[in-house]
Amino acid sequence: MLTLSGIHKQFDTAVALDGADLSVTAGTVHGLLGENGAGKSTLMKVLFGLLRPDAGSMTLSGQAYRPHSPRDAAGHGIGMVHQHFTLAPTLSVRDNCVLAAGRGLGLIDQHAWDRRILALGERLSWPLDPDAMVGSLAVGQQQRVEIAKALLAAGVDASGPLTGRMLILDEPTAVLTPPEVEELLPAVRRLAEAGTTVLFISHKLPEVLRICDALTVLRGGRTVYTGQTLGMDAEHLADLMVGAGRPGAAGRGAGAAVDAPVRLSVQALQVPGALHQVTFQVRAGEVVGIAGVDGNGQRELVRAILGLQADATGTIDTPSLPANQRLRGPHRIGVIPDDRQREALVLDLPLSENLALGDHRDSPLACAGWLLPAAWRLHAQDLVHRFGVRVPAGDVLAGALSGGNQQRAVVARALHGGPGLVVAVNPTRGLDIAASADVLGRLASARSLGTGVLLVHHDLDELLGISDRVLVLYGGVLVDSGWPSCERSVIGRLMMGLPAHA
Amino acid sequence: MNDWLVVILLAQALVAATPLVLAGLGELVAERSGVLNIGIEGLVLAGCLAGFATAAATGHPWLAFAAAIGTGSLLALAFGLMTVYARCDQIVSGLALNLVIIGGTGTAWSVMQTHGLTTMVPGSGFDRDWCGGWGVDLPLIGPLLFRQYGLTVVVAILALVTAWILARTRLGLIIRALGDEPDACAAAGVPVRRWRLLAVVGAGAAAGAAGAFLAIMRTNSFVPMMSGGLGFIVLALVMFGRWRVGWMISGCVLFGLADATQQHLQSQAGANRLPYQVWQVIPYATALIVLALMRRGRAGPRALGQPW
Amino acid sequence: MLDLRRLAAVWPAVVAAVGAAGLLLLGLSIAGVDPGEAALTAWRGAFGSWSRLAVTASEAVPLVLCGLGAALALRSGTWNIGLEGQCLLGMVAAIAVLVTMPPGAAACAVGLLAGALAGAAWCGIAVALERTRGVPLVLSTILLNTVAAMLLGALVQGPLQASGSAAPETAVVPEASRLAMLASPLHVGAVLAVILAVVSWLVQQRTVLGFELTVAGRNPEAARFAGIPVGLRTLQAALGSGALAGLAGAVQVAGVTWFVSDGARSWGYAGIAVALLARLHPLGVVLSALFFAGLAVGARALERRMEVPHDLGVIAQGLAVAAVLLAGALAARKRT
Repeated sequence: MLTLSGIHKQFDTAVALDGADLSVTAGTVHGLLGENGAGKSTLMKVLFGLLRPDAGSMTLSGQAYRPHSPRDAAGHGIGMVHQHFTLAPTLSVRDNCVLAAGRGLGLIDQHAWDRRILALGERLSWPLDPDAMVGSLAVGQQQRVEIAKALLAAGVDASGPLTGRMLILDEPTAVLTPPEVEELLPAVRRLAEAGTTVLFISHKLPEVLRICDALTVLRGGRTVYTGQTLGMDAEHLADLMVGAGRPGAAGRGAGAAVDAPVRLSVQALQVPGALHQVTFQVRAGEVVGIAGVDGNGQRELVRAILGLQADATGTIDTPSLPANQRLRGPHRIGVIPDDRQREALVLDLPLSENLALGDHRDSPLACAGWLLPAAWRLHAQDLVHRFGVRVPAGDVLAGALSGGNQQRAVVARALHGGPGLVVAVNPTRGLDIAASADVLGRLASARSLGTGVLLVHHDLDELLGISDRVLVLYGGVLVDSGWPSCERSVIGRLMMGLPAHA
Repeated sequence: MNDWLVVILLAQALVAATPLVLAGLGELVAERSGVLNIGIEGLVLAGCLAGFATAAATGHPWLAFAAAIGTGSLLALAFGLMTVYARCDQIVSGLALNLVIIGGTGTAWSVMQTHGLTTMVPGSGFDRDWCGGWGVDLPLIGPLLFRQYGLTVVVAILALVTAWILARTRLGLIIRALGDEPDACAAAGVPVRRWRLLAVVGAGAAAGAAGAFLAIMRTNSFVPMMSGGLGFIVLALVMFGRWRVGWMISGCVLFGLADATQQHLQSQAGANRLPYQVWQVIPYATALIVLALMRRGRAGPRALGQPW
Repeated sequence: MLDLRRLAAVWPAVVAAVGAAGLLLLGLSIAGVDPGEAALTAWRGAFGSWSRLAVTASEAVPLVLCGLGAALALRSGTWNIGLEGQCLLGMVAAIAVLVTMPPGAAACAVGLLAGALAGAAWCGIAVALERTRGVPLVLSTILLNTVAAMLLGALVQGPLQASGSAAPETAVVPEASRLAMLASPLHVGAVLAVILAVVSWLVQQRTVLGFELTVAGRNPEAARFAGIPVGLRTLQAALGSGALAGLAGAVQVAGVTWFVSDGARSWGYAGIAVALLARLHPLGVVLSALFFAGLAVGARALERRMEVPHDLGVIAQGLAVAAVLLAGALAARKRT
């Protein structure tokens, strides 16, 4: 049904696509695999009309296909669900659909739209409430609205056929809990069986192998494999995706010694509306992982530990560190925040100043309230060298670094002084395999030097690969999963609020 | 009954509220689409000057209104290009706009004075009888509904239309979404910048018309800085109304009432024992107090003030 | 930490200043005025001789102080548009002290201090409204400007009015309480302004406090994670900027006018323009203030000699700000 041949796309000096091919049969689920930077997103943007290819051709149902905008692509029956939702949280489900799928500026026929939305929901076996405010829905439900919105925009009608349409799903399971993934995958197959072609973009091999009829692997902007799923195995695919060898997982340590000092003790932590009677400990020399879907209290937990949550009650104790020295002073907590651009770095300031942030009050970077610029330069050079931050020459602004190097800088700042306690949140977000392994390796090294690490992470595989103990946060309640003496599926169930054992 | 103080004050309140509602509707739409324009004060002033100058030069009040609307639109277009397309900071750009207009109107007024263009041609203004004098003697609704300027009626209709558009049409939906989640609009194929620019220009047109109302309807004259903070009050009223048309209008009418009351008190015997500023400050102090006492309710458009 | 990159950031300001002046001259030539003669008259009027320089420098003093205040506020991310009103409050406080205390240097010093405190307090009202009731600073400061103007007008006609005078003006400051003259009308306040500019620069560049203010202004969240007390720093910056504006008013009263009358002033808004043109650099504020003062004085000379309305100076201010904004936006575009 759809063919892309020899697509080339270059941005300035970076070649994103170097002759990529894709061939999709109608009515199937086709997987598109590849690591970060392999070119998947760029290829999809070309397909969806957001980008114009420098070379190559596309055909849709035998005819030449050259979309000049997403609207145009939608007009050809192609809908796209992006990884980062493009919903307006303050508007209702109906309003979001009218915005995306409606035409013109005129009066909105609410009844007609409600009928369309409810009917579509029935066909997909998903309940959709047109009046609900999108912001109040759970992530899995929001994704359903996104899919419905994309289908409506692609011209799917209340009763008309779903055939002849194509739906592109970009990393749809990245934000879902395991039970939500279990709901999505069969629904995708149902769509295909009803005649809609689905393009399933992911880097999660097990899921792709489960539901895709055929798949294509991209690496370095080129197609390195395309064919049926039947008979393929995960190891071979992984090698194709990543090329030569993969860095090993950071690995679990020996766990904390029995008499290791307690670095962090949280008792009966309460944040109205977010955390309920949270109690746990982190000792020296162990990594305590906190699993859970974003939005179950992680943000409040981290802020409370750092002393930034005003309405927190309960006891948070950092033995050997007075409360007002948690973020100030030479022995402060090493913090790797969730959002490096908004919570860790000041992009408009030079890297040296960013690296000094947090240490800027104390010797050797300052003296009696005065700054010592020469010491800042040395400090920055030292950190850049020790932690492998790749910087162009000179003192660049932090914003000029790549995502991976920005994160390395944040990690450098957090770990360089050998802190007793490290709090890391989603430390590998947006990083490729090499950078992720680097960051996790640093955390493991810190652990072996006696640091206690609290790791709040959304990537369950990475979390399980490095944690000595795993706690699960759901709805503000923290539960010990019993890891490593429990099954992975137990953690998945706890993350969704289900009892540990069915 | 029509002599009752309450009725007189209310009728006067509607007159005072007219330019507020007019400029307010424009600013509300612009802010709902994500653009904060503190230069609205200057735009009103520009409308005052353009309206008055045209009325004084040509004697045609409708032409004067057109000139004021045109001037406001053009100046707002410059502001819009700077903030929406060039992504300059909205607050500072608004300040720059005010400065340029204050200097510009001062200069133009000096030039007008040297050319003797200082008074309006008699009979080129409007009277407070949009129905030609019919109905002004009816009890209660006479002074409230019929002894008003035509523009007041137009503004009332405009308010209803705007509210309806915002709530029930896709156009209104687009405007609301632009201010809350411009990325969602972009993904839906809506040209974000174009619509924001349109909203800003519309707000400029409304502000210019409001200024013309001040100059050629209420006072029949021009004085430098005669907009007297009206633009800033409108900013406060839009916020007070939580960016909803209905609430904003009630705020405007309340403010108009405070203004009418203040003028009335000033004219009472014994009032001139206090400096006149004590009375003049009442509306501003009221605005501040009301803002301070407001419950912290629904916040404004989430993307307000941020370049896209 | 002076390096080439920071120096190179100056060019947009220079281009903006030249561009604004150029636009005005163009406008003048369209209106039939000879631009060359206009430029020459304006230049001579502002900078043509030592005595003219003294006038311009004297005019620049309140602009420097308000500009420093605006720069301080803007750098820390605070939208203090209320410099205008804070300056007026400073004038009121200063004149009240200067005409009531026994004449002498002590009265002068106390008057200046009172002005600074009054300015800080007036800003504090707006800050308190924001922190306790959520009223946006942009709105409250603008409204308080008008209230301040009316307050000044009422006081000058009421309690502060000079006895025996029908005009709305206060008594005159006794000679012993005035700021000493350097070269009339340039007074000692200019030295104070320059000293404060240098101090501002040192604090901003070389102290922990200055660094924390800068970080708090650019990314408050990251500042919090680094242990910087953001609320406290922004409060300090806001009150500091109010104090500087109040001081500007007090210095004008003690050094130049020696009494207060009802009337329009615009150092507050001009101060914001001054700060922006100087890209928020304290030493640059001095140069920028001289530029704007030169514009104003030159425009008045133009009016006297060539009958060109003096409001042109205000237009130039607005154009300069717009030009700086556009230059900044262009530079940002090139980076991304």
